[in-house]
Amino acid sequence: MKIDHSQPLEYSTEQNRLNILGFWIFLGAEIMLFATLFTSYFVYEDRIGSGPSGADIFEITPVLIETIILLTSSFTIGLAVHAMRINRTKAMTVFLGITLLLGAAFLATEIYEFNHYYHVGATLQTSGFTGILLTTLGTHGAHVTLGLFWGTMILMQIKKRGLTPQIANKSFIFSLYWHFLDVVWIFIFSFIYLKGMM
Amino acid sequence: MEFFERFAIYHPSPLIYASMVAIGLVSIAIVVGITYFKKWGYLWNEWLTTVDHKKIGIMYIISALLMLFRGGADAIMMRLQTAVPDNSFLDAQHYNEVFTTHGVVMIMFMAMPFIIGLMNFIVPLQIGARDVAFPRLNAISFWLFFFGAMLFNVSFVIGGSPDAGWTNYYPLASNEFSPSVGVNYYNWALQISGIGTLMTGINFIATILKMRAPGMKLMKMPMFTWASLLTNVIIVFAFPVLTIALLMGTFDRQFGTNFFTSMNGGMDMMWANLFWIWGHPEVYILILPAFGIYSEIISTFSERNLYGYKSMVWSMVLISLFSFTVWLHHFFTMGQNAFTNSIFSITTIAIAIPTGIKIFNWLLTMWKGKIRFTVPMLYSIAFIPLFTIGGATGVMLGIASADYQYHNTMFLVAHFHNVIIPGVVFAVLAGFTYWWPKMFGFMLNEKIGKWAFWFLTIGFCLAFFPMYVTGLDGQARRMYTYSEATGFGPLNMLSFFGAGLMAIAFALIVYNVYYSFRHSPRNVGDDPWNARSLEWATHNPVPEYNFAVTPEVKSSQAFWDQKKHGHKLFDKEYEEIHMPNKSGVPFIMGVLFSIFGFSFIFAIWIGVILSAIGIFACMIHRTFEQVHGFHISVKEIKETEEKFGGADK
Amino acid sequence: MKELFPMKQVNGFIFSLLLTVIALSVYFLDMSFSVAMTILLVTAFIQAGVQLILFMHAGESEDKSSIYTTTFYAISIALFTVFGSLLAMIWGYMF
Ligand code: HEM
Ligand SMILES: [Cu+2]
Repeated sequence: MKIDHSQPLEYSTEQNRLNILGFWIFLGAEIMLFATLFTSYFVYEDRIGSGPSGADIFEITPVLIETIILLTSSFTIGLAVHAMRINRTKAMTVFLGITLLLGAAFLATEIYEFNHYYHVGATLQTSGFTGILLTTLGTHGAHVTLGLFWGTMILMQIKKRGLTPQIANKSFIFSLYWHFLDVVWIFIFSFIYLKGMM
Repeated sequence: MEFFERFAIYHPSPLIYASMVAIGLVSIAIVVGITYFKKWGYLWNEWLTTVDHKKIGIMYIISALLMLFRGGADAIMMRLQTAVPDNSFLDAQHYNEVFTTHGVVMIMFMAMPFIIGLMNFIVPLQIGARDVAFPRLNAISFWLFFFGAMLFNVSFVIGGSPDAGWTNYYPLASNEFSPSVGVNYYNWALQISGIGTLMTGINFIATILKMRAPGMKLMKMPMFTWASLLTNVIIVFAFPVLTIALLMGTFDRQFGTNFFTSMNGGMDMMWANLFWIWGHPEVYILILPAFGIYSEIISTFSERNLYGYKSMVWSMVLISLFSFTVWLHHFFTMGQNAFTNSIFSITTIAIAIPTGIKIFNWLLTMWKGKIRFTVPMLYSIAFIPLFTIGGATGVMLGIASADYQYHNTMFLVAHFHNVIIPGVVFAVLAGFTYWWPKMFGFMLNEKIGKWAFWFLTIGFCLAFFPMYVTGLDGQARRMYTYSEATGFGPLNMLSFFGAGLMAIAFALIVYNVYYSFRHSPRNVGDDPWNARSLEWATHNPVPEYNFAVTPEVKSSQAFWDQKKHGHKLFDKEYEEIHMPNKSGVPFIMGVLFSIFGFSFIFAIWIGVILSAIGIFACMIHRTFEQVHGFHISVKEIKETEEKFGGADK
Repeated sequence: MKELFPMKQVNGFIFSLLLTVIALSVYFLDMSFSVAMTILLVTAFIQAGVQLILFMHAGESEDKSSIYTTTFYAISIALFTVFGSLLAMIWGYMF
């Protein structure tokens, strides 16, 4: 395997560069995946049957907490990549760890939020609206959950093997994934919550 | 006992029981056969664990051919049922199941994999690469497709087939109107194979964008590679829509949500909307590679460069974007106002323009060319007028106001078979014949091939042109019978006759494979067709490493340049070649996915959980695994090259 | 310590918080639907741009044209899907 030392570690082999481009293309597909969910959300937004509407059930506090947590975690994963590029492995793992903790906090808040919906009678089955709401949030949440496992695996590998070109590559790709989830959340925040509450 | 009842066939008949027995016997025969000839090791080592794009391509094509026969049997049954008025060979429910599985199998498990198989085999060779960007992922894609297809076929003998059409419209597909597990099969089989297809899309875009031989600029890629690139672009953006739509359908049927119901805010039309947002791009996923295949073949057998390379590329780029803007033409009659219909009517007709441009490119390529009427060329020549008719009727259907007359009649059925059979099926058969020596090192017999071609073409015309007439006369699609008074009888009989000719054609193609395997000479050399593009610059059949040294290219006709203009393709010394390791994990993941799907279909949650854990375990294993591949030494390369009668250098 | 917090990232973070606050105004202030939607659209897309270019380094490698093309395709198709569906299922739907 040829290693090109003029490039950052995560770009240093041909396979690494392929992986990064491949992941960007995957993100293109993810954009369409969420676009389909948003499309459906907008179509069902007012189709509430006899169930509650968005304005009835949304609460600003947990939503704000989630938003700030996710924005911060997107910042810290950016710092992790930066630390990786200046060869500060220790700092990198710390930032990555913080990111994962923030991710877990996000999930906890989201579980609280879902629980709240359940108690006010907005379940998956209640109406077209509640169904698509929970499916959209749930798909994002599932992505975050997957990200938590993935990030943990990467942490374990760094502990075990140090920052090899492969692991640097995985970490960088993980950061792309995490930023992307943040972007999706911004759209959820703006066009599901804020639009629903205003 | 109660547990097992759910697996019973929903709507049994002697025919199904007979096939059950047949399937059982064939499976036993296969297992016994492999054991008897001691081929398990060979099968596992050479095929099930392979990550070689060439072998994966061949496996795709074999599966596609098998599915062609499954779908073909369905087709013959339908034509038999409707051959005479008031027939009772199939009842309504069976007829529903048969047209549903026919459509799904033909589109998802025959046409798509056939095309992806050719792409797998040819694209890396056409760009001078050793393999695709992610060989392991490629194997996973294949096994997901394969087990998705198997899962779908199992519905025939366990639990009952889907019966709501390949378009699976709600409310027909809801629990209320489709109470068997059939539609669950539909959801999960398509979901699993769809994920595989999505990964193929990502893989091939990365491959084509980053692994081309030195000198091969984008505008110097062979046309089939261009077509594949854009097809994969469409795949990447279209398949996520299907993923979500199927998920919502699954939720509705299995978790009681209200997406496609008519209560509590549900909207059944939304399924049609999502389905066609994926579905229309899907038809371009099928046709673009076919255009690529025809371009290669027509240019080879006219001995001329492809006319208007740039316009060809740009028209395909336009199609890749615009194919996402026309979907509503599939439901003009389902409640949109005239303004909305007009917009989509205009986009629909507009997209026919880039398609039309290509017809002229092919015609002008043949103009003044030295045409050789080989089997692949015959298919390509027949394609041009037949596809033009299909395109023209497409434009007729695209006129929203007129569509009120044609929609859901046999006219529509004639249209899409008219574009798909001469468009896609002829193309894959032509490509199959054209690249056969590349795969196996000998030629398919031309004479039998020509017989098959004529049976297929004439059979096609007889089978489908009458439907234009009966459709305009008002014969509805998907009706299992009609009365004598309608007068549809004779033309339907003609259709049945045409279908029979097509069946003979497919039998001849299989016979041709057998015959050529036994009798064709093995010394065809590396360039049996006097071809032009890079894939022909290596040996037949292709060695494991594709090219002994990486070629240097200066046009889209690299091999022609070498032959006629003294261009040096291989101007380097041998070097060690790095190859990826094989792996059994993709196959195991395929098995786990099919268990997952099967359990989900029958709501056996323990199976769902266990197989999901298994799938994650495979992924975790993958991220911790350290594989470095292996090297083929210079000595080995030399030996292989000598075996093929000396290197090209 | 300081080299671990480059200005680019810190500013980006502050900017994204700021955008969030602006977006929040649609909740706390009284405004018409179209003004509010405009604010949301603008802030959301700028926010996405910040993430894409600043944090995800979309333009740093040799493949930047492929990456930008992919994103362009994805976004245009996504927008067409959203608005086309709204047209088909709500604005232009007669039942
Ligand atoms: C010249 C370009 C084309 C135009 C203008 C066109 C137009 C249309 C229209 C308007 C319909 C819907 C009619 C109705 O439901 O009443 C339709 C159906 C269909 N077309 Fe085309 N088409 C074109 C090319 C193709 C191609 C190239 C393919 C496939 C390779 C294709 C495959 C289909 C299929 C599968 C259906 C119907 C499926 C169903 O309802 O089950 N079309 N086409
Ligand atoms: Cu269409």
